[in-house]
Amino acid sequence: MIKLQNVEKVYRTSSIETLALNNINLNVKKGEFVSIMGPSGCGKSTLLNIMGLLDVPSKGYIEIDGSKVETYRDKELAHLRNQKLGFIFQSFHLINDLTVIDNVEIPLLYRNSSSKQRRDLAQEALEKVGLSNRTKHFPKQLSGGQKQRVAIARAIVGKPEIILADEPTGNLDSAMGNEILNILQKLNDDGTTIVMVTHDDAMAKRTHRLVRLFDGTQVL
Amino acid sequence: MLRHLFKLIWNKKGAHSLLIVEIWASFMVLFGVLSLIVYNVRNYLEPIGFSYAQVWNVGLTNNQDTVEVAAKLERAMQRIRSYPEVASASRMSSNTPFSANQMNNSVTYNKINVLADHYYSDQELSKTIDLPMYSGRWYKESDLVARFIPIVINGKMREKLFLDENPLGKVIKLDDKVSYKVIGTVDNFKAKGEFMSNDPAFFQMIGKDDSWNSNVLIKTKPGTDAEFEARLVKDIAVMLPGWGIEVSYLTETLANRHKLTFVPVAIFLIVSGFLLTNVALGLFGVLNLSISRRKNEIGLRRAMGATEAKITFQFLGEIWVLATLSMVVGLLFAVQFPIMKVFDIESSIYIIAILAAVAVIYLIVTLCAWFPSKQASRIHPAVALHEE
Repeated sequence: MIKLQNVEKVYRTSSIETLALNNINLNVKKGEFVSIMGPSGCGKSTLLNIMGLLDVPSKGYIEIDGSKVETYRDKELAHLRNQKLGFIFQSFHLINDLTVIDNVEIPLLYRNSSSKQRRDLAQEALEKVGLSNRTKHFPKQLSGGQKQRVAIARAIVGKPEIILADEPTGNLDSAMGNEILNILQKLNDDGTTIVMVTHDDAMAKRTHRLVRLFDGTQVL
Repeated sequence: MLRHLFKLIWNKKGAHSLLIVEIWASFMVLFGVLSLIVYNVRNYLEPIGFSYAQVWNVGLTNNQDTVEVAAKLERAMQRIRSYPEVASASRMSSNTPFSANQMNNSVTYNKINVLADHYYSDQELSKTIDLPMYSGRWYKESDLVARFIPIVINGKMREKLFLDENPLGKVIKLDDKVSYKVIGTVDNFKAKGEFMSNDPAFFQMIGKDDSWNSNVLIKTKPGTDAEFEARLVKDIAVMLPGWGIEVSYLTETLANRHKLTFVPVAIFLIVSGFLLTNVALGLFGVLNLSISRRKNEIGLRRAMGATEAKITFQFLGEIWVLATLSMVVGLLFAVQFPIMKVFDIESSIYIIAILAAVAVIYLIVTLCAWFPSKQASRIHPAVALHEE
């Protein structure tokens, strides 16, 4: 589903060159639930950004669903992100000026879908995460766990094949974190491929496979 | 997407209220300026209807002299007409072309009332200012003995008073008292200058014993210079001792008249320019601030599938929505002008001004929003999402 071949990422400034990822080879199969672990600054988020086509590798290449994306232009990359990928972030990234349901609808705005279709799909996604009674609320009126559930609804509303989650439980207490992981496991059981960055061993143990990074290098 | 943008702006209306008020004020002032400009341009495009080149206006004032004023004026006219430099001369009331004087009366025909400018002249006026006849003829001395007072009307009066009827031979009433008979019509007569509207007007012949209407319009022959002016003034002063004599050129009077048109337009343009500059700077600042505060949102939208172009469009769209909300409020005020025909100005002038003001506002907000919006679209999504 996602294949990374000899991926390297170097950040350059005028005086410093930082190697964030070094020779990463990774193959995430369809339906897999993979967790990525490692200490802070080891390149986990960079790796997830590259897998999510939000960043480009300095060397190597990436394939999504059999297609090499290195020659893709902005429009094609945006289309791929919109159709195949769903993102969940540690800090939720909800838009405070929009209601819950309007936040969930965002990915559908970049598709040719009618207002009614958007509303129906967003409602359905919110039902899946147990927040169908909070559609008119604004993010500031929600708890951290509820916000993350809205973010999950937003990630799944377009029915993507892959979900990339960057420390989705990082800002939550353990009970709430477990609840979020249960939702992700349910999505994975339904066939969605999930790649999750986490610091939590217990969470990682609940996934199919663990990838460990240290100083930008894959150690497991 | 448009609905989404409306929601986004509506939910932040408090934060944008000052900008909305500023755009609204700019729209209203711009609407005023453009109404004035469209009105003046429309007037300018309509022919003035007569010629004023080489036409002088000699104002004669009898002061303390009250003896045989009419006869003295008649003799002065004969003398003026006798100069070889004079192509034609006509006596006229003090509301000569481009002067600040105005005289109007209400005339009635078939229960239709029209307020029309009233001019007195002799039989030579149409020749002196090249005022061509549209139909009928100009009056002459023999008309003075007719049962009804003969008048010549202009096209605007014909249109307003007679609609589709032929006005020739028709009798109209002035203030429901005096009866006039239309014996001729001319087309345009914009006596207040090119930028003024073509108002209803009629011309009445000066009577033999009239001593009030003592202005003389003189059409001079080409090459006539100031030496003739000095000689003319000197000769008339000898003929009419104690009288005041003032010579002005219609071209110069018109230039002064133009100032009356340009000064308010210039003042309005300065005010609206100042307001629009404020709006432009305000928008630029608000957008720059907004983009730096909303980097996470930009990154998020890019992650969700927005292209660079869509991010640019979103920020432009937000500004268009903001401008639209402001102008909807402005339009509620502006549309009252054509509906109520304020200042008796044609509705089409206000409608053109509204459309032009809307276009100018959209153009300005687009220009101001373009650069920050492009900047927003170039923010790298991974960097934007990483910033907290």
